[in-house]
Amino acid sequence: MSDGASLLPIIAILPFLGALVPGLMIRAGRTACATFTAIPTILALTMLIVLAPSVMRGEVLQAEIAWLPQLGLSAAFFLDGLGLLFAGMILGVGLLITLYARFYLSGEDPMGQFYTYLLLFQGAMLGIVLSDNILLLLIFWELTSLSSFLLIGYWKHLPEGRQGARMALAVTGGGGLAMIGGMLILGHIVGSYNLTDILTQGEAIRASEWYLPALILILLGAFTKSAQFPFHFWLPHAMAAPTPVSAYLHSATMVKAGVFLMARMWPALAGTEAWFYIVTTTGLITMVLGALIALFKDDLKALLAFSTVSHLGLLTMLLGMGTKLAAVVAVFHIINHLTFKAALFMTAGIIDHETHTRDIKRLGGLRHLMPVTFVIGTVGALSMAGIPLFNGFLSKEMMLEEAAHTVWAGSVWAVPVLATLGALLSVAYSLRFIAHVFLGPVRDDYPAKPHDPPFGMWAAPALLVAMVVVIGVLPAAVVGPLVAVAGGAVIGGGEMPYYSLKIWHGVTPALYMSGIAVAGGLLLLALHRVLDRIWLAVPRPEAKVIFDALVSWVAALSRRITESAHNGAVSRYLAILTVATVALGYVAWRGSGLSAPTRAPLPVPPVVAVGWVLLIVATISVVTMHRSRFRALVLIGVIGLMISAGFVYLSAPDLALTQISVETVTIMLLLLALHFLPKTTPRESGAGLRLRDAAIAVAAGGAVAGLAYAFMLRDTSSISDYHLANSYEGGGGTNVVNVILVDFRGYDTYGEIIVLGIAGLIIFALVETLLTGPAARRLRNADLSRNISRDRHPLMMVVATRVMMPIAVMVGVYIFLRGHNQPGGGFVAGLVISIALLMQYMASGFAWTQARKRIEYHAMIGWGVVIAGLTGAAAWLAGAPFLTSAFGYIHLPPIEEFELASAMAFDLGVFLTVLGAVMLMLFSLSRLARHAGESVNIEPMDYDPSKRVETAEGGDR
Amino acid sequence: MISADLNIILTEIVLALFAMGALVGVVYTGKDRLAPALTWFTAVLFVLLAVWIGVNGSGARVAFGGMFHDDGFARFAKVVILLSAAAVLVMGQDYMSRRGLLRFEYPVLVTLAVTGMMVMVSAGDLMALYMGLELQSLALYVVAAMRRDSVKSTEAGLKYFVLGALSSGLLLYGASLVYGFAGTTLFSGIIEAVGSGQISIGLLFGLAFVVAGLAFKVSAVPFHMWTPDVYEGAPTPITAFFATAPKVAAIALLARVLHDAFGGVVGDWQQILALLSVLSMFLGAIAAIGQRNIKRLMAYSSIAHMGYALMGLAAGTAFGVQAMLIYMAIYVTMNVGTFAFILSMEKDGQPVVSISALNMYSKRDPGRALAMLILLFSLAGVPPLVGFFGKFYVLRAAYDAGLIWLAVAGVIASVIGAFYYLRIVYYMYFGEEGEALDRNRSAVLWTLLMGSAAAMLVGVVNLFGIESVAQAAAATLVN
Repeated sequence: MSDGASLLPIIAILPFLGALVPGLMIRAGRTACATFTAIPTILALTMLIVLAPSVMRGEVLQAEIAWLPQLGLSAAFFLDGLGLLFAGMILGVGLLITLYARFYLSGEDPMGQFYTYLLLFQGAMLGIVLSDNILLLLIFWELTSLSSFLLIGYWKHLPEGRQGARMALAVTGGGGLAMIGGMLILGHIVGSYNLTDILTQGEAIRASEWYLPALILILLGAFTKSAQFPFHFWLPHAMAAPTPVSAYLHSATMVKAGVFLMARMWPALAGTEAWFYIVTTTGLITMVLGALIALFKDDLKALLAFSTVSHLGLLTMLLGMGTKLAAVVAVFHIINHLTFKAALFMTAGIIDHETHTRDIKRLGGLRHLMPVTFVIGTVGALSMAGIPLFNGFLSKEMMLEEAAHTVWAGSVWAVPVLATLGALLSVAYSLRFIAHVFLGPVRDDYPAKPHDPPFGMWAAPALLVAMVVVIGVLPAAVVGPLVAVAGGAVIGGGEMPYYSLKIWHGVTPALYMSGIAVAGGLLLLALHRVLDRIWLAVPRPEAKVIFDALVSWVAALSRRITESAHNGAVSRYLAILTVATVALGYVAWRGSGLSAPTRAPLPVPPVVAVGWVLLIVATISVVTMHRSRFRALVLIGVIGLMISAGFVYLSAPDLALTQISVETVTIMLLLLALHFLPKTTPRESGAGLRLRDAAIAVAAGGAVAGLAYAFMLRDTSSISDYHLANSYEGGGGTNVVNVILVDFRGYDTYGEIIVLGIAGLIIFALVETLLTGPAARRLRNADLSRNISRDRHPLMMVVATRVMMPIAVMVGVYIFLRGHNQPGGGFVAGLVISIALLMQYMASGFAWTQARKRIEYHAMIGWGVVIAGLTGAAAWLAGAPFLTSAFGYIHLPPIEEFELASAMAFDLGVFLTVLGAVMLMLFSLSRLARHAGESVNIEPMDYDPSKRVETAEGGDR
Repeated sequence: MISADLNIILTEIVLALFAMGALVGVVYTGKDRLAPALTWFTAVLFVLLAVWIGVNGSGARVAFGGMFHDDGFARFAKVVILLSAAAVLVMGQDYMSRRGLLRFEYPVLVTLAVTGMMVMVSAGDLMALYMGLELQSLALYVVAAMRRDSVKSTEAGLKYFVLGALSSGLLLYGASLVYGFAGTTLFSGIIEAVGSGQISIGLLFGLAFVVAGLAFKVSAVPFHMWTPDVYEGAPTPITAFFATAPKVAAIALLARVLHDAFGGVVGDWQQILALLSVLSMFLGAIAAIGQRNIKRLMAYSSIAHMGYALMGLAAGTAFGVQAMLIYMAIYVTMNVGTFAFILSMEKDGQPVVSISALNMYSKRDPGRALAMLILLFSLAGVPPLVGFFGKFYVLRAAYDAGLIWLAVAGVIASVIGAFYYLRIVYYMYFGEEGEALDRNRSAVLWTLLMGSAAAMLVGVVNLFGIESVAQAAAATLVN
């Protein structure tokens, strides 16, 4: 880093620091505020001038400060010819605009705010042209969108400003985001995000397979920023901004950022067919289209805006040609366009300021009233038209010369003809600017009395038009070196092409084309009135309308998507979820090389086949009959039974036992609960929808079945082997399922019983709230007991359950004790005893039975959990982890040898919790029933069906 | 040994005990009267724990035989979760109090959910994973339906529950397949069983369904359907909670499973994640355009943002994980600020969620409007705001991993997405004159909004140093 280069970061940061100044200085008065705003700009400009000589010698200054190195982002700046040119333009015009705005803004406008935004914007722009790191460039790039948004929106009260600001932001902001992708690819190809590296790697970039996507994404950013077709529409609508803003952003700086980027990337990206066809064609179309529209605009600023679009198209076309000479011409034209266009914008601003209108139709004859403005405006416009002696002529001539040599898709005529047409239209609207504003008779109906503005206001444009003339007359002397060094930077070193900056090149094709353009332009101006009428009569696509239509189309599409996918129906959501899961499974299926089956399927005996058919039929029936709830419940019972039978058949008696007891309990509880709900459910979806759902369900079910089938036909190493091998040694049991439950996965079981207990308690709590809230009233009025049988508690059943009770308890204890080695265990034992008790309750009625038992279910659940927990914790005493089991054997002579594992105490906890939870659920449901008006019998059983049952109302609620 | 284990999960124990103690304590004392105080106290506890974890944590420790990991990755996620949960609690307190929604269960449930999240991000075992996930989800189901007198809220809660239960089932199905074929539930065991060559079909199915289950929790398309409904139906403070901490936990958990258990077969899940990512980004971006309700809009926005975070994961590299972490930290910060703003949108004391209510907001409250402008630009990923760095990290991660198409798609989606964020800005600055919103005077909301917006600006300097922290965190996960 040379000494000079260390100034670069300071130059870049100065405007941002300066942005704080106006806010502080605004109290000191408007002039002081403007003066202090100018100071940072002047400082930066001075530093730039200090650095200029070394750059002019061809040096490239670099300065780098590490920022986020891992991301490839560093605050790296560099200054070469192109950077110098642009930085000078930005700061120079910025200074002039500061001066101009001081007089332009009226007393009511918040000037401090305006200058703050202006300096922010200036800093962002300066950052773009000085960045060495493309990520840094990207950051400054979007910062210009942001600060320009603030500037455009400065006059919030103007209705046309709103739409303009939105479009400008949406288009340029979006383009900038697209550019992120392009920069990412570029950085990846080169392996560095530093421009200085990227620019030397042009060959590699153009050869990369990702060249085209990168090019398109970057060009998207550049085209949107520089308002190239088809993104040209935002620029004229952004003209609602104050004129100083338009002059600065929309002629001199921001819109040139896209052109700058294309020039900057020229060594890396240009020279391919894709570049040529995309960039040149876009530029050409923009040039002609912009000029054509400009001719028919009556708003002064709109005319200038479209002319800017047209000139940007011209620059784009030149850069797109890919020849070195064209690139140098582009650089030259950038300088020229800056001078005359900024001057013209300021002129328009002065006219607007003095006459209070920008409508060309209401102007004319200002030559006499505003002589100074007239001179400035005329010089600027003549330069824009490309009339000799003004700088616009020089670059236009060179452009036409280049266009004359360009072959487009085999056609030698396309480019020259269109370029001439563009030039012709340009002459027409430039001359119209002069003729319809300044010439003609003085009118007496101006909205305000026009006169020349104070010196401060016309000083800036006057300076600019002075440059127009000086460059126009002595181009080589004034800007020759700058064009050389900047042009050299664009073409990325190497030999400079031959060119000469002078007015007279002899009789060349360009001269003919220029001649045609001027003559044609004059003709068009003469015919303007007629053409204008035709123009207004002919329907034409209005970009803003298209943009709005596009926006509303996208919004409609978006709404269609949300309405179809997120319509609020759970069934729709479930369908999507299921389909997605099936699709995911299918992907997994495809992705795994599934080998051929390694096992033969087991034979299917007739009994099993019958069971299978029953299972399937019952399942299908549940689905078809689910609207009638009791029937569905019965069918679910059948399914459960078949599954239990299946477990028996597959030699898993333990599972079968558990399954069947769980099945019984749940069906009973469900029966009781369904009592309070509607007996049928309405049909909610149409046939088509049901068909779709059926298809999805079949697909999902079939997929799961297929998966299971595939696994069963293949030998795979799975966890089962481990459990079979370790059940006895590690857990002291031969019943693998039970050992898994209480030993290997003791934690789970412990968790499960807690959950079961909580479930019981929650049902209790829910019923409790049901009995107190508004639901209780509905419940009381619900007549659920219309069809009560005369013998609710039949004699036979009561007697049978009484007899069975001790037997059932004994079976339960037996199952509990043998659980560790044989089918059974605490879980099943708990369920068996629950069923035994349940039957008592059913036989004699709940309240009757309740009055005769002395067990507290809540406490039972608690004790169960505590016992299981303590058993687990006891392992700590032995120094083993929680829930490690110990076991030993004891011999009780009359019965048989028992194994006593610590797991058994754990099992006891399980037993108690299960029993407690099930009974608590039952208790809760019966409370509900009694609340709903079910009566309580006094006798244990109904021994005489003919007798009216004696009941007490409600019982203990 | 057990005391060492307990020491490692000390923060989780503290939180769980606090939740239970607070529940019992408040039930027997002031009940809902104490809710505001309890809310603040919970938030303070979260912050203290976050600081404690951030300052004290070092190295990687394992508890309960590998079921629980305490490493840089987990700590990073935990700090983000705790801080965002604290912010959300504090900013919703006033809103809920004034509408009689602030029950004392709310902070307790949030604490339980946060405990679950902390277990999730530390899980080293399918069991711990599921336990943490369900602890979180159960608390969230209740919180989503907190507003029992609103049909919309209860309906949203119920939908969330039904779909959530289904997704949990999917996850369990996947987990049991993994367990069955790997022979263990420990991630360290699974990664050995999986190896690095051809994954067995059982494990592949297990992986696919585990991913599907977790995709639901991060609300990745096509498992996202609950998000808009829940966001819209739940009271705004709860929506804010949904948008922040649970998202971090879920995606961190996904990262952990994918790298700790299936890190050897990146190729097998990379495409799935890439697909989820691209679908989320596009659906989120496109569907948000048509929204007129700002909460629904934020729902789609969060879907799109999760798409970007998933892009980082899809890279399958340490840099990808780092990018994801940074992205999530930034995302959460932005969302806290945005929701602080949404909470302050009121007219005549009633909450307003219509975007058109923001017409010309900048005129009435320039400070807030500017803060919101910064946040929205940041959400859109516009440089130079911090949101851009998040996006750029994940884009780069995907790009470096060879998923160029994904990165390009992400860029295109961000262009589409920018549109609707900018539309809000447009309304605020250039809309038509409408009826004015109330001036909100809550200092908490103001502080959070301004703080978040300022972070989006100041963070540009060095991202508050999270880059290196995230890098270290990612390094503990991917090796």
